[in-house]
Amino acid sequence: MKIRLLLIGILFCMHSWAGFAQEQKMTAAEMESFKQKVNGVSKKISTLSTDFVQFKHLDFLSKDIESSGKMFFKQPNLLNWKYTKPYNYSIIFKNSKIYINNEGNKSAVDVGNNKMFEKINKLIVGSVSGDMFDEKEFTISYFKSKEGSMTRLLPKDATLKKYIKQIELIFDNTENTVKQVKLIESSNDFTKIIFRNKIVNAKIDDAAFNH
Amino acid sequence: MRLLIISCLLLVTFASCTFRTVKGFTKISSEKKVYSSPYFSSAVTDYVYKANITVYGKSLSGLFIAKKINDSTHRVVFTTEFGNSLMDLEIGPESFKVNSIVEDLDKKIILKTLKNDFRLILANKHFIRNEYENGQEKVYQSKDGSRFNFLFADKKAEQLHKIVRASRFKEKVIVSFTSTNGQLAETIYVKHKNIKLGIALNYLKN
Repeated sequence: MKIRLLLIGILFCMHSWAGFAQEQKMTAAEMESFKQKVNGVSKKISTLSTDFVQFKHLDFLSKDIESSGKMFFKQPNLLNWKYTKPYNYSIIFKNSKIYINNEGNKSAVDVGNNKMFEKINKLIVGSVSGDMFDEKEFTISYFKSKEGSMTRLLPKDATLKKYIKQIELIFDNTENTVKQVKLIESSNDFTKIIFRNKIVNAKIDDAAFNH
Repeated sequence: MRLLIISCLLLVTFASCTFRTVKGFTKISSEKKVYSSPYFSSAVTDYVYKANITVYGKSLSGLFIAKKINDSTHRVVFTTEFGNSLMDLEIGPESFKVNSIVEDLDKKIILKTLKNDFRLILANKHFIRNEYENGQEKVYQSKDGSRFNFLFADKKAEQLHKIVRASRFKEKVIVSFTSTNGQLAETIYVKHKNIKLGIALNYLKN
């Protein structure tokens, strides 16, 4: 049970810098050019670090719940997603294991051959390597707006569908990397994650992924 | 005749039998009919807590989010740190509605336990049956189904700091609150005595 809940949670945030959104539809030519640009950028990424701010929106609350932190990624599959405000909580993907540090309480989960984990891992790495426009997993539509290019992904997988109705990614028009992710639940409540101070291909020490 | 005497004696013994929870306290005549808990009583406050739940050595963490949506009902959402909802409930003294819940938590025993625990934490009105006191504290006793709730408040400020849910002979659940202003609970601990379940909530300043 714990693994599944954990994976659902991770899945939620990990799509983060993957990419989706909405507004004026792209033409077929625009779509192709956009995909090529994003894939081109993604293929060159060996490391990525970024600050993020997360807003959890629940309709009945008067204010969104805000949290923030840092994310580090290193090819092929090292990832550290770290909240520093208003609590310390980090989750590290390393060697088919998930390491959690919850306010100093450390734990590890062996995900081994867990299928959902494989999917998440593929999504994370895929979103960096350019292999993220996966029509098998999502019904994808492409849009353009003032904010940037957007993709909207509707999950096809039955399990994923239960938790996520739609994922919207907004791409930066100059860098062609994801700058905002919105994960919408079936209740229409959503989690929005905005990336700031993104640094691509700077040296990241392996210690950044130590438990 | 002998049977009647025995019955009467038993009745007197039973009636005067003190609850373990208020041992050492003196029963006093109650002036109050209702005790109002200050916690979770505002309809404009978003109550957001970091939650750590431990069940038989296993742990689950996330956010406990509560809001008073009408006079007697609270909406409670439990999410992971990443923001996705694991359960969405509406809880009142008599009512209980599950808006959504993930499959893994959708078990009768889990829902029943959480419903009772969350009610203890959230309830604003407690109808008093008995009142006790010692030098420092006042204890208000209310009836809760087949159980009793004992609400411990310090005598001076009448600030609620503990609720004990108990049967006549045994304590079942203990909820402890800490609050600096007496209106908002910064930490809440729920400890079960018959099962290995503990819930710790720490208020997050948004």
